[in-house]
Amino acid sequence: MSSQARGRRAFRFILPALLCMLFVHVIPIFWGAYIAFIDLDIYTITRWMQAPFVGLRNFFTVFSPATDVGVRYLRSIWNVVYFGLVTIPAGYLIGLLVALLLNRKFFGRTLVRGLILLPYITPDSVAYNVWRFIFQARIGIVNKYLLALGLIKEPIIWLVGDRAIYAVMIASVWKGWPFACLVLLAGLQSIPQELYEAAKIDGASSFGLFRFVTFPMLRPVSATLLLLSAIWNFHAFNQFYILLGADPGKAHVPSTFILQEAFTNFHFGQGAAMSVFLTVVVLLMTVVILRVRRRGEEW
Amino acid sequence: MVRRTLRGILGRVLFGLAIFLVLAGVLIPYLWMVSGSFKTTLEIQSADVLKPELSPRWFPRKFTWENYLRVNRTVRMLDYFRNSIIISVGTMVFSVGISLFAAYALSRFAFSWKRTYTLAVLSTQMFPGISFLIPYFMMFVLIKHYLGLPMQNTYWGMIFTYTSFALPFSILMLRNFLDSIPREIDEQAQIDGCTPTGALFRVILPLAKPGIAAVGIYSFIMAWNEVLFATVLTGRETKTVALGLLEYITAQQARWAGMMAACILVSIPVLVLFSLMQRYIIEGLVAGATKG
Repeated sequence: MSSQARGRRAFRFILPALLCMLFVHVIPIFWGAYIAFIDLDIYTITRWMQAPFVGLRNFFTVFSPATDVGVRYLRSIWNVVYFGLVTIPAGYLIGLLVALLLNRKFFGRTLVRGLILLPYITPDSVAYNVWRFIFQARIGIVNKYLLALGLIKEPIIWLVGDRAIYAVMIASVWKGWPFACLVLLAGLQSIPQELYEAAKIDGASSFGLFRFVTFPMLRPVSATLLLLSAIWNFHAFNQFYILLGADPGKAHVPSTFILQEAFTNFHFGQGAAMSVFLTVVVLLMTVVILRVRRRGEEW
Repeated sequence: MVRRTLRGILGRVLFGLAIFLVLAGVLIPYLWMVSGSFKTTLEIQSADVLKPELSPRWFPRKFTWENYLRVNRTVRMLDYFRNSIIISVGTMVFSVGISLFAAYALSRFAFSWKRTYTLAVLSTQMFPGISFLIPYFMMFVLIKHYLGLPMQNTYWGMIFTYTSFALPFSILMLRNFLDSIPREIDEQAQIDGCTPTGALFRVILPLAKPGIAAVGIYSFIMAWNEVLFATVLTGRETKTVALGLLEYITAQQARWAGMMAACILVSIPVLVLFSLMQRYIIEGLVAGATKG
């Protein structure tokens, strides 16, 4: 079979998947880039070709510290970065510690491993609604125990204002670390036992074993895991939207803010401009991750 | 010798304690959810952390099944269940069908644009949903405007959307699964006179059942859980359970007890399906983060 014929045969099999990708991913990405340059609102949406072309004005507006939208957008970007800087290392560390615990053999290990997966497989909508209940000021258990321990005198309002982002971080780490744990556990179990034996013969302490065998052997898995988490961090939406509502105020992240600007205030053009920036950031990070992964990896 | 056994015992106790703390951290929210679902709305609303006699309790003062029996009373939860089931099952069927063909081609055919396509599929996983949402919504509006075909607030609109979301992971996972089935099996079938499509359905399909089930379940769960696109693209007739849960809390009333009962009902299908196919889905997800 000629290579052209082979390509055509593969094309027939992949066509439905290609069409889905085309309509849901490819066209919207490019169209979104176009919308970012026009002044599109609720009146012009069906006559979008007549919407005035405004060049870079949408971008200037959303990045200007002088406009309300700009201030809030820049703040939402800072929020999502801050959110990632806290939740990714925290989730990684907890995941690593628990993976080290679970890498030992003990009675009931399978059960424990199944139970720690629960947060990961529980639907976001369920998990974050339960956390919302837990964080309630007057009826929640967080304040109940903080008061009982004497750490606070008055119930804290967790889900509004400056503290809101920390409540979201706690809930997200709770939901996210089992995945890191799972990946790291798989990494730990792929380390050949001989390496440990050799290191023990050389007189390594148990910290030495971790420092010179476990940690270096986990490096590739950790690098991919952390980079992927950094990219997926920009997807953060569910935890903010469910815990804090459609308008998280000071705790907006880009996803919630763009949703609000586009679908509550109908600033589609500005919303698209903000989305395009996110797309570019994620694209750059993807290039990095592909470079990191390419070492000897064949797809 | 005695010191050594003492250290051993101490180590075991500390180890057990650590495991206990981990499990407590994981399970406390679930216990709180279950406990809340059996309380009366009155008990939750009158709770007050400042007053010891009203402080929220782990055991309901008055145990009640009302929240489960009347889950549909204030929020149309049963309608949302129906919508979610239709959309999730539809997504499952289409995602399995489409990804099976694509994965078969990736696994068995040699063609020049294979690597490019695989990379493209992978990279769609990286973009946040909000990157597509505005133009995608516009596409729905324009299809209705020009073709008269309603997309927003329809089952097929949501099924198409979620199928496309589920496809990248489904294709890659199924391709890995098909790669593990020896090539000789379908080559033999083709020597015996099967077309590639015939070999796929007669020989590969029965062997790939576990992989297909895992992909189907993954797709179902994905559609069941999605929030962002559902907030914009669903409406009164198609609202899914993930959004329905939010309706228990309004500006006027906070029905936490009802919400906790609904939360448990919403989780059950996901937990059951997941545990059926735990091994395969986890292998796939871990491979996604480690190998691509």
